[in-house]
Amino acid sequence: MNAAFTFYATTILVYLGVDILAVWSLNLQYGVAGIYNFAWIMFQAVGAYTAGVLTLGPATGNGGFQQYILGLRLPEPLPLLAAGVVSGALALVVGIVALRRLRTDYQAMVMLVISVIAVLVIENVTGLFNGPAGLSLVPQPFGSLPLSSLGYQWFYVALTAVVCLIVYLFVHRVTSSPLGRALRATRDNEDAAQALGKDVVRLRLFVFVLGGAIAGISGAVLIQFIGAWSPGSWAYVETLVVLTAIIVGGTGNNAGVMLGALLVPVAFNEATRFIPQFGRPGLVDALQWIVIGLLALAFLWFWPRGIIPERRRRFPGTPAVSAQLADPGEVA
Amino acid sequence: MTGSLFVQSIGFGLVTASILALASVGFTLQFGVSNILNLAYGDLMTASAFVGYAVNQAGGGIAGSLAAGAGFGALASMLLNRYVYRRFVRHGTKLFGMVVVTLAVGIIVQNILLAAYGATFFSYSFSAGKQVHILGMVFDTSQLMIIGLSVVTMGLVQLLLTRTRLGKAMRATAANPGLAQASGIATDQVTDLAWLISGALCGLAGIVLVLNTSAFQSTTGNDFLVIIVAAAMLGGVGRPVGAMLASIVLGVVTEAAAGFLSPSFKEVIAFGVLVVVLLFRPAGIFGQGSTVKEVPT
Amino acid sequence: MSLSVEQERQRAPGDEALLSVAGLRREFGGVWAVADATFGLRRGAITSLIGPNGAGKSTVVGIVGGAIAPSAGRVVFDGADITGLPPHQRARIGLVRTYQLSSEFGRLTVLENLLVARPGQHGERIRTLLYGKRSWRRQEAELVDQARVLLDRFAMSGMEDEYAGNLSGGQKRLLEIMRALMCQPKLLLLDEPMAGVNPTLAQKIEGYLAGLAAEGLTMLLVEHELGLVERLSESVIVMAQGKVIATGTMPELRARPEVLHAYLAG
Repeated sequence: MNAAFTFYATTILVYLGVDILAVWSLNLQYGVAGIYNFAWIMFQAVGAYTAGVLTLGPATGNGGFQQYILGLRLPEPLPLLAAGVVSGALALVVGIVALRRLRTDYQAMVMLVISVIAVLVIENVTGLFNGPAGLSLVPQPFGSLPLSSLGYQWFYVALTAVVCLIVYLFVHRVTSSPLGRALRATRDNEDAAQALGKDVVRLRLFVFVLGGAIAGISGAVLIQFIGAWSPGSWAYVETLVVLTAIIVGGTGNNAGVMLGALLVPVAFNEATRFIPQFGRPGLVDALQWIVIGLLALAFLWFWPRGIIPERRRRFPGTPAVSAQLADPGEVA
Repeated sequence: MTGSLFVQSIGFGLVTASILALASVGFTLQFGVSNILNLAYGDLMTASAFVGYAVNQAGGGIAGSLAAGAGFGALASMLLNRYVYRRFVRHGTKLFGMVVVTLAVGIIVQNILLAAYGATFFSYSFSAGKQVHILGMVFDTSQLMIIGLSVVTMGLVQLLLTRTRLGKAMRATAANPGLAQASGIATDQVTDLAWLISGALCGLAGIVLVLNTSAFQSTTGNDFLVIIVAAAMLGGVGRPVGAMLASIVLGVVTEAAAGFLSPSFKEVIAFGVLVVVLLFRPAGIFGQGSTVKEVPT
Repeated sequence: MSLSVEQERQRAPGDEALLSVAGLRREFGGVWAVADATFGLRRGAITSLIGPNGAGKSTVVGIVGGAIAPSAGRVVFDGADITGLPPHQRARIGLVRTYQLSSEFGRLTVLENLLVARPGQHGERIRTLLYGKRSWRRQEAELVDQARVLLDRFAMSGMEDEYAGNLSGGQKRLLEIMRALMCQPKLLLLDEPMAGVNPTLAQKIEGYLAGLAAEGLTMLLVEHELGLVERLSESVIVMAQGKVIATGTMPELRARPEVLHAYLAG
C-alpha cells in the first residue's frame, strides 16, 4: 500500500469521523426528538470558526491578509471544547427564540432562513471571520510533535476516533435512557407527552443544545484538519446531505445513521474522485448533487425508515410475545 | 443619502416588487391549493429563464421568451405536482418530508441546469431601451415593461380568482379540499390548473428576474427563493392579495434599506423580518391563521 | 361558590370534594362554550358528566385538565387552587386525563408507552447525561414490573413489545387508560372512553372502571350512554348550553323536568 493511498485513506477516515459526529448530532435533534433543524450546518460552521479563531494567532500575523476576531493561539483541547460551548450557546439562543409550536414545514423554513441569515452576516461583517474568503492557515493541533506527515495523519485519525468515542458516550446515554424515551414520546405526540407531565420545551431545548454542541465539535475537528473554512462550505443545502444520510441510514438509530454517514457523505462523495472528470469542469459535481437528490427522493418513497431503522426496545423478562408487526408509518 | 437617491431607490423597489409579486403570487397559489412549500420554485424560475434564453438566442424577441418561459413554467410545475409531489403526499409523506422532497427536486433541477449549461453567466441579448424619467425616478423601458406586465398579470389573476368559476373552485379547494370534493369540485383537475397558472407566473417571474439582472446562472432563481417565501408568508400563505402587498412592501423597503445601509444587508433585513413574522404571526401580517396541519390528499 | 342541594345531601360529614370547580366560564370566538360551571367531585367515587352535544363538557374537562385556560372561575384540587397550573404539572400532582382521540406514542412499544407515562422519573432528568444508567436502573425495573402488572390486568401482556401505532382502536383505548393509571392518579378524567368501541370491549372497560372505583380511585367520566352512566356512577352532573343545570343520581335526574327538556328528550 503506497503512501499516497494511505494518505488518502486516513483523510477519508477523518471525514468519516466528522460525518459520524454530524449525523449523531442531527439525529438527536431530528430522529429522536423530532426537531426540524434545517439550520444544522450553521452550528457546525460556528464551531469551526470558533476553533479556527482560537487556534490561529493574531490576525496581524501571516502578513495580515485575513481579518478575524480573537486569534488566541490556544493549545488543544481548548479550541475543541470552546467550539462545543459556543455552538451550544448559539443553539440555546436560537432554540429559545425559534423552537416554537409551528407546523413542521414552517419550523423548517424558520431554521433554514436563520442559517441563510447567518451566512449573509458572516460574509458581510468581514471583521468577524474574514468574510467570503473565510479562514485559512489554521494550524494543526499538536503540530509540534515529531511526526512525519503520514504519521500525523494517523495521529489525527486517532484523535478523531477519541472524540467520537467520548461523544458517543453522551449520545448513547441520552438515547438509551428514559430521557431518550421521553424525547421520542414528544416526537410522536407532543400534546400527549405534555399532558403526561413531560416538560416538552425544556426537553427540546436540551437536545437542541446538545446537538448543536456536537455539531460545533464536528466543525472544530474538520477545520483543524483541513486548515480552512469559508462560507462556501456551509450553504443551507449541506444540511440536506446530513439529513439524507440520516434518512438513508436509519432515522433515530445511532448505528443506522453511522451507516448513512458512510454511504452518503463519504462513499458517495469520494466515489466521484475515482470517476475520471469528463465533460466540462464541474459536471461531475453537478451530477453528484443530482444523485444525492434522487437518493433522498428514493429513500423517502421506498424506505423512509432507512436501512437500519430505529430498533424496537425490549425489556428482559418478557412473557410470550405475539407476532411482531412492522414499524408504523413515518412521523416526518 | 440624498433625497433623489432615495426616490430612485423607490424606483428600484418598484421593479423588484413587480418581479417579486409575480413570483410570490405563484408560490402562494401553489401553497394555498396544495399546502406544499415548494422549495424548488426558484429553480423552476431559473429553468424557465434558460428556456427563454434559448428562444432569445434563436432570434426570438422578448415576447417570445416570455411566452416560452411562461409555457415551460406552467407545464413543468403542473407535471411536477401531478407526478411527484401529489404522489408523495398520497404515499404518506408528511409536511416536513415534503419540504425535503421539494428541496431535493430543486437541487436536481438546479444541477441539471448546471450540468447542461455550465457554471458561467448568461445574458439575454436585447436592448434595454431608452431611459424614461417619471416623478424623479429613472427607468429603462424594459423595467417599465416589467412593472406593466406585473400589474396586468396581477389584475388578471385577481379577476380569475374572484370572478371565474375556476377561481372559485381553486379558492374552495384551498380552503377545504375535503369539503370542496364533497361539493362536486374535481379537486385534482382544479389543482392541476392551479399549478399551470402558478407555474406560468413562476416562468414569467424567472424571465423578468433575469432581464432585470445583468447576468444569470444556474443558481440565480434559487438565490431569490428566500425573499419569495418571505413575501408569501408576510402576506399570509395562500393569499394572493397579501403576497402582492407584501411584495410591494418588501421590494421598496429592501431597496431603500440598500441605499441607507450596505446593499448586502437588504437581504438580511428581509429575512429577519420573515423570521420574526413566522415566529410571532405564522399566518403572516395579512393572513388569518393557518389551521391545516397536514397536506390534503 | 355554592354546592347544589343534591351534593350537600350526598356528602358524608368530613368528606371533602377531591376536586371542585367554581364559576367556570370560557369563551371561544364570541361564544360561551362554558357559561357557568360549578360542581364538586367526591373522593373515591365515579361522577359522570352528561349533556347534549355542545353543552360544554369537553371544554370543562379541558379546563380541569389544564389544556384550556378558563375565562373566569376556579379549579381546586385536593385543597389547592390549580387554576393557573399548566397541564404537565397537573399530571405530576395526580390529576390525569384521557383523550377521545388516539394519543398513543406510535413509534414506542406498548410497554414503553406505559413506562414513559410515569412523571418524575430519575432517568428523564438531564443529569442522566452525567450519571448514566446507575441513576435510573432501579426505578426503571420497578416501573417495568408495575407496567406488566397493569398489562396483565387489562389482558394485554402479549402486546408488550408491539408498536403502539399498530394497535387496534380498542387496544389503543385500553392503552390510554393503562397509561393514565401509570401516573398513579388521584383523579382520572375520562373523556368518552367508550366512543367508537365495540360492545364487548365496552363491557370489559366498564368492568375495569368499576374495579378501579372499588379500589378507591376518583373518576370524572364524560359519557353519552346513559345505561353505563347509571351503572357506574354514584353522582351525575348534567350540563346544557355551557351551564350545569342539575346534579344528582340518575333516578333523581330523570324526575326533573329541566333535565328531561334539555337532554333526555332532545
